[in-house]
Amino acid sequence: MSKISDKINLSIPNKPEYVGVIRLTVTAIANRMGFDIEKIEDIKVAVAEACTNAITHGKNETDNFNVEFSIDEEKLTISVCDNGKGCGINSIKNPDLTLLNEGGLGVFIIKSLMDDVNINSDLGKGTTITMTKFLGDDLQ
Amino acid sequence: MSLAIRKNFNEEENIWSIELAGEVDIYTAGQLKEAFIKIIEEKKESIRIDAEKLEYIDSTGLGVLIGALKRLRQDNKNIIIFNIKPSIKKLLNITGLDKIFVIEG
Repeated sequence: MSKISDKINLSIPNKPEYVGVIRLTVTAIANRMGFDIEKIEDIKVAVAEACTNAITHGKNETDNFNVEFSIDEEKLTISVCDNGKGCGINSIKNPDLTLLNEGGLGVFIIKSLMDDVNINSDLGKGTTITMTKFLGDDLQ
Repeated sequence: MSLAIRKNFNEEENIWSIELAGEVDIYTAGQLKEAFIKIIEEKKESIRIDAEKLEYIDSTGLGVLIGALKRLRQDNKNIIIFNIKPSIKKLLNITGLDKIFVIEG
C-alpha cells in the first residue's frame, strides 16, 4: 500500500528577489521534517540553483514558475518547473571544471548535493527539475 | 537575502581586503560583480575575502568570483578566501573551486 505524500505548491514570479523566499520556505519544510543542518544547506543550494535556472530561462518577468514540495516519511522531493525555452536534454553536459566557465555549474551542483535528480526538458516547452533528499537516519 | 560588501585597500601588503556579509544569489550577484569590476579597475591587485559573515553563496556568486579571478590572473594576481563556513567550503570542494581560489583557514 503506497502512502500519499503531503504536497505544497508555490507559484513564484520569474524575479530574482524571490529565490531567497523559496530558500526560507524549503528550510522551514526540511527543518520540520527533521533533516540535519548539513542536509538542509544542501537542499537550500540545490533548490536555489533550480529556481535560478527557471528564472534565467523563463520567458518573461511577468510569468510564474512552479515549485512543488512532496513530503513523506523518508524523503523530500522538490520539483521546479518553468515555462521557458526548454533545452534538448542532451545539451546539458557535465561541465569541465578545469575550464573555469562562469556559468553551467547549476545542474552539476544539484546533482552533487541531492540524492536523486531528474531533468525533463522539451525545446520550447520548458523544463522541470525534480530532486529528492532522503532523511536517511544515520545509524551509528 | 541581502549582501553587504566592505572593501579596503591595504597599502602595506598591496592587497584588497574585502568583507562579505549576507547572501550571494541571483538577486545579489550583480552587486558583487559591480564591486569587483570597480576595485579591479581601481587597482589590479590580489583580493583577500573575509567570508566569516557570508551565510550563503551558489553558482551565481561562484561565477562572479571566477570572472574576477580570470581578470586578476592576467596579471598573476589571486583571490584568497578565509573564514569560510563549512557549507560553503563543501560547495567549493564539490566544484573543485577550492583548488582554484586560495583557501585559508
